[in-house]
Amino acid sequence: MDTSNPAPFVNAELLKRYPGRRVRCVLKVVRAEGNSSLSGLTSDGLHISVKQVPSVASLSQFVEVIGVVDSDRTLRAEICTNFGDTFDMSSFNQLVQMANSEYQSLFI
Amino acid sequence: MQSSYGGVLGLSQKSGGTQNTGLLPLTVKQISEAAQNSSDDTFYIDGIDVNNVTILGMVHNKEERSTDVSFLLDDGTGRVEVKRWIDGQDTFENEQIAALQDGVYVRVHGHLRSFQGKRNIVAFSVRPVTDFNEVTYHFLECIFVHLHNSKANGMAVKGPSISSPNYGNPVGGGAPSQYVTPNMTGVGGSMDECQKRVHSVFEEPSSLSSEVGLHIDDVARRIPGFTKKQVKDAIEFLVNEGLIYSTIDDDHYKSTNG
Repeated sequence: MDTSNPAPFVNAELLKRYPGRRVRCVLKVVRAEGNSSLSGLTSDGLHISVKQVPSVASLSQFVEVIGVVDSDRTLRAEICTNFGDTFDMSSFNQLVQMANSEYQSLFI
Repeated sequence: MQSSYGGVLGLSQKSGGTQNTGLLPLTVKQISEAAQNSSDDTFYIDGIDVNNVTILGMVHNKEERSTDVSFLLDDGTGRVEVKRWIDGQDTFENEQIAALQDGVYVRVHGHLRSFQGKRNIVAFSVRPVTDFNEVTYHFLECIFVHLHNSKANGMAVKGPSISSPNYGNPVGGGAPSQYVTPNMTGVGGSMDECQKRVHSVFEEPSSLSSEVGLHIDDVARRIPGFTKKQVKDAIEFLVNEGLIYSTIDDDHYKSTNG
């Protein structure tokens, strides 16, 4: 049992709260750039870019990126998981907001 | 009144405590912070006995052995070890286990256990997630259940502290000097609205100062919205509780607090 390295749920706005930290974020893929980067839309409607994406070609429309925050608008990916083509971003955004404010104690 | 959210499988209430025979959705962080009864090693969270739990996260370090399969489940709040015993004969089980790969999101149902000081889950179901809205749903459910259970137990804790220690003493209706307020809310919810109102009528200064107290009809007149029968029943209850007593006849009553 190990809770020493949690990866909080974030959206674009919350990236700046966790610089250099490992976070998890669900993105709607907008565009693949090259063969290891992508540009995506976060659950609060802002664009961020992700580097070091393994297998960019086989991504579904929604992708969860677990990675390290590089800047206010970039992530360095460690694990990318396909979250399918139907994912409710607005519910997810509300979860992100709650998990980082009043109910933070349940998460990190 | 206490109620516990037992998830889909329903609730049960035990007098004096909250027994949970339902299902608790949890984050690994909540599991790591769960309190443990020193006597029987059972866990409790938000005042509820932890029995069946469900968690959701990513599989890591899967190890398959002849009698069991185990892995670390990472849900973003932490990692916990999950173990599932293998029957060998059960094809459904074998299919479930084959579907488990590192990096796959799964929904686990099982029991929370402690072994050599470390907490782990013994699972009876490990199912891969197919619709990822389930991820959002699980964590929202964790928040909801936590909020529900904390609120329910928060209220129950406040209740008993209001009632006075003299409350249940029916000895000839003798003057309970410690009894300060006619506040009924604490005692297991046994006083209903009518009884409260009737009693507060008897506690009014004018009622207390009157030697013969109040006639039933007087009381009924003062609290519109209740039938005379209800008022009579309330008065009978209050007499049994030792809060009022009959004076000149069976229709006149006075508070023992006078």
